[in-house]
Amino acid sequence: MSLRVMIVDDALFMRNMLKDIFTRAGFEVVAESEDGQAALEDYRRVQPDLVTMDIVMPKRSGIEALRDIIGEDPKACVVMVSALGQDSLVLEAVESGARDFIVKPFKEDNVLDVVRRVAS
Amino acid sequence: MDMSQYRELFLSEAREHLDKMNKLAVALEQEPDDLEMINALFREAHSIKGMAATMGYEATSRLAHHLEDALDGCRQSGRLSETLADRLLEGIDLLETLVEDIKAGNPEQDVSFFLEAPTDETEDGEFAELSPIQAADEEPAAAGEAAEGTPAVSPEPETFQVLMTLAKNAAMPAARGLLLLRELENRGEVIACDPDRETMQAGFPLKQLKAWFRTAQKRDFLQEVLLAFPDVEQVDFIDDRRQEAARSGEEAVRTVRIRTDLLDRFVNLAGELLTQRHVLRASSGKRDWPGVDAALEETGRLVGELHHHVLRTRLMPLESVAGRLPRIVRDLGRKTGKQVAFRLIGGEVGIDRVILDQLADPLVHLVRNAVDHGIADSGEVMVSARRERDMVLVEVRDTGTGMDPEALRQKAVEKGLLSASQAAELSDREALLLICRPGFSTADEVTETSGRGVGMDVVKAAVEDLGGTLDILSAPQAGTRFLLRLPLSIAIIKLILVRCCGMPLALPVTRVQRIIELPREQIHQESETPWFALDEERIPLVPLAELLGQKRPAIEPVACVVLTEWHGVQVGLLVGGFVGHRDAFVKPLGFPLDRTAGLSGAAIEGDGSVLFIVDPQPLLAERSVDFLPHKMEEKDAP
Repeated sequence: MSLRVMIVDDALFMRNMLKDIFTRAGFEVVAESEDGQAALEDYRRVQPDLVTMDIVMPKRSGIEALRDIIGEDPKACVVMVSALGQDSLVLEAVESGARDFIVKPFKEDNVLDVVRRVAS
Repeated sequence: MDMSQYRELFLSEAREHLDKMNKLAVALEQEPDDLEMINALFREAHSIKGMAATMGYEATSRLAHHLEDALDGCRQSGRLSETLADRLLEGIDLLETLVEDIKAGNPEQDVSFFLEAPTDETEDGEFAELSPIQAADEEPAAAGEAAEGTPAVSPEPETFQVLMTLAKNAAMPAARGLLLLRELENRGEVIACDPDRETMQAGFPLKQLKAWFRTAQKRDFLQEVLLAFPDVEQVDFIDDRRQEAARSGEEAVRTVRIRTDLLDRFVNLAGELLTQRHVLRASSGKRDWPGVDAALEETGRLVGELHHHVLRTRLMPLESVAGRLPRIVRDLGRKTGKQVAFRLIGGEVGIDRVILDQLADPLVHLVRNAVDHGIADSGEVMVSARRERDMVLVEVRDTGTGMDPEALRQKAVEKGLLSASQAAELSDREALLLICRPGFSTADEVTETSGRGVGMDVVKAAVEDLGGTLDILSAPQAGTRFLLRLPLSIAIIKLILVRCCGMPLALPVTRVQRIIELPREQIHQESETPWFALDEERIPLVPLAELLGQKRPAIEPVACVVLTEWHGVQVGLLVGGFVGHRDAFVKPLGFPLDRTAGLSGAAIEGDGSVLFIVDPQPLLAERSVDFLPHKMEEKDAP
């Protein structure tokens, strides 16, 4: 049974990149959301095994979206995707229930290591 | 981190918290539903728990935790029942006893009788549903088992320290630390951690996270889980020593803990007495006092005995530093995919505490090297110790592929450390010691045959600093043996007394291989560095006076030679004469004498004069160009 992943990122480039990585690894990308607001709706709809969440996004930030999702499903597996230097935001996300984080620019292996560990 | 410096602070603060707890508990008995007091009591217990856990006082922290949980139950039920009040006071009494134990330097007593005592408290349920510690452990333990489908759970929860080391370039280490902490919390009870949660929340860039952790999950399982985290480079477990101390309760009755600085003082005083004995003897020798001589003789014997016993108080079993070796071998074996067994023989052999301290790192180096480079696929690493008169012989031995002296010679030539002829001059034993040359080899290019230079220069230096020697025995396919010969105690050493530049000087006996009286005819003086032949070896001769910056003296008809060694090369020191040998209590030199190369200390002579102790090693290092075999050869060449 392959892992069902949902990607939240406002940049199409990042979404595609992550999607390629996950597809190559044999995961199923079940949803892609462009902003924090759409994320919660998508999450409800597809009930993924794991979410990768960008932090800085329009409408609703990744941290707000994380809190929305955890609020509804405390067991949700959310991995934050952060740029270098966003330490305090990542800390906040971890405190809010993020399972782990990936720092951009990332390597394919690192992303998969984190995702596999969190999903196991 | 050395926690002992915080001990006094812990004791005084624990005392304050206990006083408050006593007052509050009694007051609360009068008004059992005063929630504010219940909260205050809870906070006091919580503080003691945290402090005790940080200090590693396990029983104290467990008991405080137990009381804290009971009080948490009260917070929920809104009142303190009568039976619980009794038990709470009992618990506070017991906490006080524990703190007294700690203050007296005794191991904490076992508190499980209290923690496990059945209570007839059922109405409120506070204590009935305790034992909190078990409750806390069972849940995550079961979770671990279910997740993994393997028996990841030990039968008994254990308390130990988990040391998680992050990679140097770890991204966002504070967030990583919090995630690790959360993982631990899901798998057991984190009693305390360093840095603490608040510090990490504030974004403190940690390199290591240390947690006092109680869990029923197995360590290797935990290790796997934690190592799976990004940027976690190393996970170590450290046993709570106090737990072991508590276990040996019987021994505790017959032992007293004494501060080590007090012991050092005893050693110092006994050393001074020994010195005075020499002074007394020297002055009494000039007169004829009937009775005094006999008494002096007896006093001398007693002082000797006293000194012997005082030194014994500083001895600690090798085990105390070798304790972590099995773990290191196991982890490294697993990492490198090798099957390595570990054996410790003579772990009970006592070695001076100071020496043991210095020995810890070299031992780890040697054992790591043995697993890393000595053993090919499977084998055994053995650490053994035995007493040999005034020395302790510590050996690290592996059953691995061994080292080939010839390959080492070649490598030294390739590296440009030696010329081909120099390399050929080296005996096998000297060739093996090449691995102790700084820069001889580095970890990544080491193979079984080319040697193993990881920190070997450091190891050798550490052993020599202690007045010891390092020897290596190895052959291809025959394993490797590292022999560390160490003095039993470094405060008092045996000295060889020689005359040099018209004054007596002392050489530590550990630096002396032999003393030889050599007829002048046997000395070859045609080259700049004279030499003589010993067992078919060509031994360079260096006048000690010259090493000390004095003029080179003429060679006597019968030359006195002290045979010593520098980096595997035998060297003869020419001295003016032999005076004798004695035990001496070595005093460190003060400024500016301590800056003098080759002067390692001083002892007081019987007549009160100062006897300087010369360590030839650093002096020879400065002059090594003159007597290394190849140099001599070059100089001899026409």
